[in-house]
Amino acid sequence: MPARAGVAVIVDSEDALRAQLYRLLSRLLAAPPDRALLDLVAGMEGDDTPLGRGMAALAARAAAAAPKAVADEYTDLFIGIGRGELVPFASYYLTGFLNEKPLARLRGEMALLGIARAEHVKEPEDHIAALCEMMAGLIEGAFGESASLPAQRRFFENHLARWAPQFFEDLAAAQAAVLYAPVGTIGSAFMAVEQAAFEMIDE
Amino acid sequence: MSSDHDGKAAPRRQFLKLASLGAVAGAVAAAAGESSEAAAAAVPEPEGKGYRETAHVKRVYELARF
Repeated sequence: MPARAGVAVIVDSEDALRAQLYRLLSRLLAAPPDRALLDLVAGMEGDDTPLGRGMAALAARAAAAAPKAVADEYTDLFIGIGRGELVPFASYYLTGFLNEKPLARLRGEMALLGIARAEHVKEPEDHIAALCEMMAGLIEGAFGESASLPAQRRFFENHLARWAPQFFEDLAAAQAAVLYAPVGTIGSAFMAVEQAAFEMIDE
Repeated sequence: MSSDHDGKAAPRRQFLKLASLGAVAGAVAAAAGESSEAAAAAVPEPEGKGYRETAHVKRVYELARF
């Protein structure tokens, strides 16, 4: 991994791939992919595991997708008029409302980590895309040293584990989802892998 | 501190490999992009088009690039 801000980061290859998958999910969930990203995603391959099959399905849909249709799909899923089919925020999934205690807890932890919301962004930080990006950053050492596995696990347990699996299931089953259905499948499988892998560490 | 390198880490890494996280490196890395500067660049769209900007993080360390 490239050094950032003078900090050398050594990340095992499997953990580097975890970070990349979080980052890919973040990119796809933050905004609809343009043609260039669709072409990259179309090049993915997957083996015969739930995660691998999800990646192969996403690649196939990306190869067939038109950016305009994907942008419309994204709008229907996440934006809509007032709200989309899904509301991809931790506070909403955990309490039924936006801007609730889960967001407050996340902001506290972000302050400790030295992460701040970009100034031009008005939406709350407990969006699934932002949380995936934070996990990628923790793994890669973007906020200083690469976070220890126990620290990654704590972040995962505190801010993803209790709702993201359900969100990704909902995404896989969403009426408006075409390209984003396998994004849901991948996210769902990945959350299960993360949970199981974290349970193998000592803390 | 990255993941430890003694025998305790091996079952977890093996599990991740078997779960296909070892298998799909190249294209996932390309699609993920090197850093989330790429992700930030991918975020659209002024409000007039009906898109909302989703939350993004700005890393404090970026401010430390003197």
